[in-house]
This record gives sequence, structure tokens and C-alpha cells, in this order.
Amino acid sequence: MKKKTNTAGTLKQEGGMPEIKLKRLGEEMVEQVNANESPTFETLLRSKGNILFDEGRGYLRLGDKVEKRTFVNVGQARKFMQTVAIANKCKKFLKEGAHTSIRGLFYQLKFSLGEDLDEELFSEQSESNPLIEDLEVALNIKREDLNLSTDRKGVVAGALVLNDKFGGDETEIDCSKQGRSGWMIPSDVDNGMEFLSVDADYVLVVEKDAMWQRLNEDKFWKKENCILISPKGQSSRGCRRLIRKLANKKLPVICFTDCDAWGWYIYWTIKTGSMNLAYIAQDIAVPEAKFVGVTMQDIKDYDFLGKLTIKAKEVDLKRAQEMKEYEWIKAHKEWVAELNEVLKTKKKIEQDALQGPRLSFVSEYLKEKIGKKKFLP
Amino acid sequence: MVATDKIFSDFQEHSVAEFFKKNKQMLGFAGKTRSLTTIVHEYVTNSLDACEEAGMLPEITVVIAEIEKNNSYRVRVEDNGPGIPKKHLGKALGMMLAGTKFHRYAQQRGQQGIGAAGCTMYAQLTTGKPVRVVSHYDKKRIECTISIDFKTNQPNIETSAEEDTDGSEHGLVVDGEFADVKYDKSAYGVYEYIKRTAMANPHATITFAAPDGENLKFPRSVEEVPPKPKAVQPHPMGLSTHDIIDYAHHDAQSTRISSFLQNSFTRVSSEKVKELQAIANEVDFSKKPSELEWAEAEKIVKAIGKVKWIAPATESIVPIGKRQIEKSLGGILKPQFLEVSERSPKIYKGGIPFVIEVAIAYGGDAGRNSENGGSGKSGDIIRYANRAPLIFDAAGCALTQAVKEIDWKRYGIKRFEEEPVTVFVNIASVHVPYTGAGKQAISDEEEVTAEIKNTVMEVARRMQHYLHEIIKEKDRAGRRKVVERYLKQLSIDLADLAEKGKASELEEKMKKLIENKYPSLMGEGDEEGENGNGGNGKGEKEER
Repeated sequence: MKKKTNTAGTLKQEGGMPEIKLKRLGEEMVEQVNANESPTFETLLRSKGNILFDEGRGYLRLGDKVEKRTFVNVGQARKFMQTVAIANKCKKFLKEGAHTSIRGLFYQLKFSLGEDLDEELFSEQSESNPLIEDLEVALNIKREDLNLSTDRKGVVAGALVLNDKFGGDETEIDCSKQGRSGWMIPSDVDNGMEFLSVDADYVLVVEKDAMWQRLNEDKFWKKENCILISPKGQSSRGCRRLIRKLANKKLPVICFTDCDAWGWYIYWTIKTGSMNLAYIAQDIAVPEAKFVGVTMQDIKDYDFLGKLTIKAKEVDLKRAQEMKEYEWIKAHKEWVAELNEVLKTKKKIEQDALQGPRLSFVSEYLKEKIGKKKFLP
Repeated sequence: MVATDKIFSDFQEHSVAEFFKKNKQMLGFAGKTRSLTTIVHEYVTNSLDACEEAGMLPEITVVIAEIEKNNSYRVRVEDNGPGIPKKHLGKALGMMLAGTKFHRYAQQRGQQGIGAAGCTMYAQLTTGKPVRVVSHYDKKRIECTISIDFKTNQPNIETSAEEDTDGSEHGLVVDGEFADVKYDKSAYGVYEYIKRTAMANPHATITFAAPDGENLKFPRSVEEVPPKPKAVQPHPMGLSTHDIIDYAHHDAQSTRISSFLQNSFTRVSSEKVKELQAIANEVDFSKKPSELEWAEAEKIVKAIGKVKWIAPATESIVPIGKRQIEKSLGGILKPQFLEVSERSPKIYKGGIPFVIEVAIAYGGDAGRNSENGGSGKSGDIIRYANRAPLIFDAAGCALTQAVKEIDWKRYGIKRFEEEPVTVFVNIASVHVPYTGAGKQAISDEEEVTAEIKNTVMEVARRMQHYLHEIIKEKDRAGRRKVVERYLKQLSIDLADLAEKGKASELEEKMKKLIENKYPSLMGEGDEEGENGNGGNGKGEKEER
């Protein structure tokens, strides 16, 4: 099953587009200087005031408030120089086909500005991080496209085959042949990463790694013909991007988390995106995702669960109260009812509780609920 | 006449020369640096006074040569004044309290008349050598050595040459060797003293060859000799006990104290003498003035303070002048901004007229160079009494106090201690209210202090506008620098990123953009801050 296909977006996958965008950014600035103007670029404002919930698209995205970054300005000069330094460095990474973390980038750029200046280009990573985001937004590309890798987190198993071009090698990855550990989702699932085949009916995202291992052992993904993913808690950029890409293949995305504040947060982040990453929401939000459980209704439907609930903590209740007010949740009466039930009973329940009767019960539970489409939106 | 002579000689015998020999600190000979400054001060002051009195523009050359480092030096002061006639040389340089100045009561720099003779004494005490003198006076050239016989307070003059000249040369050269002295560039040293003297005497050209090889020349910046201060009788309000005793013992004409008071002092009528007599009723006003005793004189001074007096005439005051100060400070400090006051005389102690002159110079070489040799400046207060610099006792001086008490922030000087600012204060008066015999500090007379403050504030207000401009410019320069810091790195990255253009060209173009955005209104080199190399701008400087 080794083959090489050049699908649409070759340019991007070959690493050409980001490099061109970076070069073009530089060219524009040089032209500005030649026209006796301060070099300038525009980026969307990423502060809270410019983050909105796009009802039509179903995710949190940046508004259209634009911020100008310019060099000849006391408040911006240093950051501007730093941003251009990052852009230039990333262009070099792209040329060399080398990747590094944002920490690695910081160290590449942590040098003195000159013998006579008691100042470094960067002295703390907290300085470089927001500038990377500036570039991502200004160029409308992701940091992964700039060969900046992020922490890997999340695991996958199922009928998904990919071709991984990396470090000069090409490796075919079959996620159905990864044994007990599954395939660890890399930070970048776009560049040099090609979907060869996806042969599944849906994507099941389970909050906890332990639950993923349970279901993997049960061969749930094989029996149900799904792709089984665990972000292992809150999802990483790479994990969310992978889910988005699978959703692009018309696979329904079904989420399975605890019935508590953290579990809801993980679900809603996958579905509508987050404030922090609103600027790449179109690439990572999965508004079509559905929530299979655990729900308060489950406690009524499965008798044994009644005994396995935990007293909701203050933070869970506070969160439930807040969530009722979010416009993207308020619109779903099922969720309002669910949260009201939490507030009323002051109970929460973990997905692990479904192993109560027997370990494989959770498979039966999911099979039944997914089969009957018993979802919260 | 006989009686007076007798008393004077008694006075001399038991005190003058011997007294000062034992109390040389009273003449300013205390501390090595200060002693050297005192020597230069006495000679330079005499030269300036002599030239002015003769209506000549002073040209003074001071040469100090090292004999033994930090201990002994040779001091030579030459002027172009009228010189001193042979018969007066001894009094001028070899006799303590000879009183050549004492009889002329006018606003003068030195008011004691022991100055140059004091230096002769100090040379003798420290090196055992007399001072050498060359005097060109009225077609005569005299070369001699002079020393003092401490026992008799009489001069010893040994003439080595005496010749007739065509009179084209005139002036005096005094040349002495002194030990227990030290040359340094501290605020108390000769260097600072000469610089300050030049600032207050723009009509004088002063040249100074320092022992460290430095040559300074302060050319005159105005061409007219200051008007001669009119000799006036002293006003009673300005008299100390010591003054009255001295006047009384010098008065050979008056037979009684009552007539002595009327004859010697202005505004003293027979009516006023009666008033004084009524208050100081234990004093016998019919006594001979030469027999006046200290305790009696003290009582008279007290009585004077209780009587109402008509103010003295103000024409006795000769200020330096606004234009003159502008010229001298402008030339010596080269400040960015300079403001000088011009005020009418005021009165203190109920009757003594005085004029306060204040100049504030900002930027350029104004301010004191920081002590640690860095490029930093601190605010400097330079004090004068009748245009003679007051170098010592700054802390105890009303001039310093008044300037320090100003709320400088109000006038745009955020921290007086850290800004390149020089405040110049001169008090001109026939009776300068010195704190003590050292004549280095002004006492805190309410009216004087208030007038100093008012004058400083008036000048500061005028400076304020400029200072705000300077602050704004500093701000702009600061902004310019902030952006320029990043220029080089950006240019390199930009050329690299665009794969287009040269970094150096981009840098050049962007530098212009920055300069356009944060323009400098002060012209070039305004913000370098590194040019304070210690001895710059103090006149025409050249290495020997």
C-alpha cells in the first residue's frame, strides 16, 4: 500500500506557500522603506474585544479589527524587529526542512543586538510567543506551516492510513496496526502528512487515555468501524487539527467525556474552538461534533450509575452556571436542560463509572447510544 | 598725631604680624588646597582692583609651577596695572593691616588690606623665602624682594635693580614660593577659582598656566572697565565693633567720639549722636576716639541698631551688569540657554543697599562635572560677593541656602543635583554681610535671602520655557534612540527575508525615517552626553 499521491494543496504540503508568504512579507516592507514609509504589516487583533462567536459557522473566531504593526514607533520598534527576525528565521527553517519548537526558536534568536547595546534580540520566550501568533494571523498560516512544532498529545487508532514525509524519509502509517499504544498524533498533521485512506464511519473522541485503552482493548474501533481518538484531556493543536481533517472527510465526530466542568470544556473546545486559538478556528473547530455522554439523563437510564455519581464540586456548578449563559450553548435547549439538571442535583459522573457493571460495558453503552443517536448537540 | 601713632604702634607690637602668624587660618591659610587658592585670590584681587582703579582693562597672568608635588609650588601673578610706587611697595606687600584700602570706603573685592602681605607672611613661614616683586610704575622699574619683620610688622625690602624706563610698560609681578600648599582641580582649587573669577569679570583677560601643563585663557568679553565705585563714608548700619575700633583708632582729626561718629560715617547728624548717647549712656562720647575700647564700641553698635537711619545712597553699588554676565557666561560655559537678572538695589538691616545678580545657565558646559569622572553633570551654585568668588563654606552660606530652597521642579528642573545647570549669584554691596572674617560666606540676612530667592525665581521663570523645550527634545531624542537601537538588526533580517535590497541601504533609509518622525530641534550633537571629558570648554584650552 505504498504509493505517492499528489493531491490538491501540493504547494502547501511541499512547504512552498508559507515560504513565499514570508518572502512576500519582506518584499512589501522593503517596498515601503523605498517609498519612504515605515515598514508596516497588518494583523487581526487577538484580544477579547475582537473575538466573536460566528453563529453561521458555529465557532469562535476573530472579528475584523485590524492592528497595524509598524517599526518607526517607540512602542512597537522592538517587537517589530523581533517579528521580522522570527519571520526570517522561520523562512530558513522552511528552506532547510528543519523543525523546531517555539522554545527552540527562542534560543535561536536569543543573542545580543550588538557589542555596544546591552540588549538581546529576545530575552524571554514569553516575548516571542505572541509574535509568532502575530505572524500566523498576518500571513493566515499556522505555526506548524512555519516548521514550528508544538507539544504532541493525543492518540489514535482505526482505519486511517497516512504517509509521513519526515527528515527525508517517507513512512506509511496505518493507524489500525499500532497495537496497544496507538499512533501518537504529531504536532503537524498537514505539512508532509498525507491522508492515504480513511475507511471509517465516524470519529469517536474520548476524554481519557484510560478509556481509550479500554476501548482499544475491546477492539471497539474495529467492531464499530470508527476512528478512536483520545486527546488525553484538553486537545492539542495537532489533535484538534486531525479531528477537523477527519470531519472534512465527512466523518461524524462524536465526543465522550466526563459529565463535569472539565469534560464539557474539552467538548466545547473541540466543537466551537477557544479564545486563545480563535485565530485559527477555521482550521481546528469542529462545529458538527456531537456529545454522546456522559449525561445526566444516563443516570436515569442506567440504574447502576445512580450509585456511582460524585458530589459536584463548586467549580463544576459555577462552570455549569456560566455555560448556560454562553450564546453558543444557550441556543441549545438540550444543553440548558442538562446543565440545569446538574445545578439541581449537584451531581457529576465520570466516564470511568460506565465500567461499573463490567469492564466492557462501556462499549455496549456507546454502541447503544451512538446507534440510537442519543446525542446532545 | 603722636598719640595715634603711639597707639597704632602699640597695636602692631602686641598683635598684628605676630597675631596673624599664629592665626593664619583667619587669613584663609587652612588646608593645602585652600591655602593655594587664597594666595592666588589675594594677588588676583589686588591686580583687578588696581587696574580698575586706574581705569585700565586688566590682563592678568597666573603661573603656578610645581616645586614638590602636593606640597610646594611657585606662584607668579603678573598684571598690566599701574604698578606700585617704591614708597608703597612695603605697605602693600610687607606690612599687615597697612590699610591702603582701608581709607577708601567703597565697594571693593578685598576689604581688609592684609591680603598680599598675608601671602608674604605665608611664604616666609613655609619656605623662609621673601617674595620677589617687579613693579613698573610711572617710568620706573623696580626689582626687589620683600619680607615682613614679624616683631615690628615692618617690611624688609631688598632692592636688586632700579631703573628708569620709557613708561610704555606698567604693571606688577609678584612671585613667591610657598609650601604646605597643593594644586588640584577640586571645587576649592585654583582652577575653579580662576574660572569663576573670569566669569564675574568679563572685562579682564586672565591666563592661567597650571602645574599639570594645562594652559587656560579667558579672553575678555567686554571692552569697558567697570565704573569706579564711589568712595563713600560707611553707613552706621553696616558697622561691626571691629570696624568702629579700627576707624576710631585711625581717626587723627576728631577729638571726641561724638565728632568722630559724625565725621566718619554717613547719615550721622548731631541729632543722631544724641540719640546714640541716650541709649549708650555708659559710653563717654567726649573721649578721644583713639581711646575707644572694645566694650564701648560694642555698646555703640547696639545703640546704632536701635536708632532709625536714613538709608545710604545707592550709587555706591556697582553690579557686574546683565550684558556683561551674558557675555562672560556665554563665552565660558557655552550654555544652551542663559538668563540673567537685572534688578534695582534693595535694602537690608534697615539701611544697607545691595544688589543681587543672578544668572542661570543650562546645558553646554554648565553644571559641575560629576565627581567620579563620569559624563554626568550636577547642578552647580557659584557664589560671588562684589564679583570675588566665594569658594569655601558653601554649606553655611545664605546664597547657597537660598538657591537650594527653590522648588526647582516648578521650573522644569526635575533634579537640581543631576542637571547641567549653573546658578550664578553675585551680591554687590559696600557692606557685604559676611558670616565671618574668612569672608567666604554670606550670613542669613532676611532681606538678602528673600531678594536672592526672588531673583533666582524670576530668572528661573524665564528659563522655564526653554527647559520645557529641552525636556521635550530629550524625550524625542530618547524615542529616536529607542527606535534606532533596533535598526541594524531589522535591516539585516529584512534584506534577508525579502531577498532584496541591501541591509546597509535599508538601514540608511530607515534612519532618515526615524529622524523625520522624531526630529531634533537642537541641532547636531545635542544628545551625545559623552563629550563631558572633564576639562572642556573652559576658555581656550591648549596643551603646553
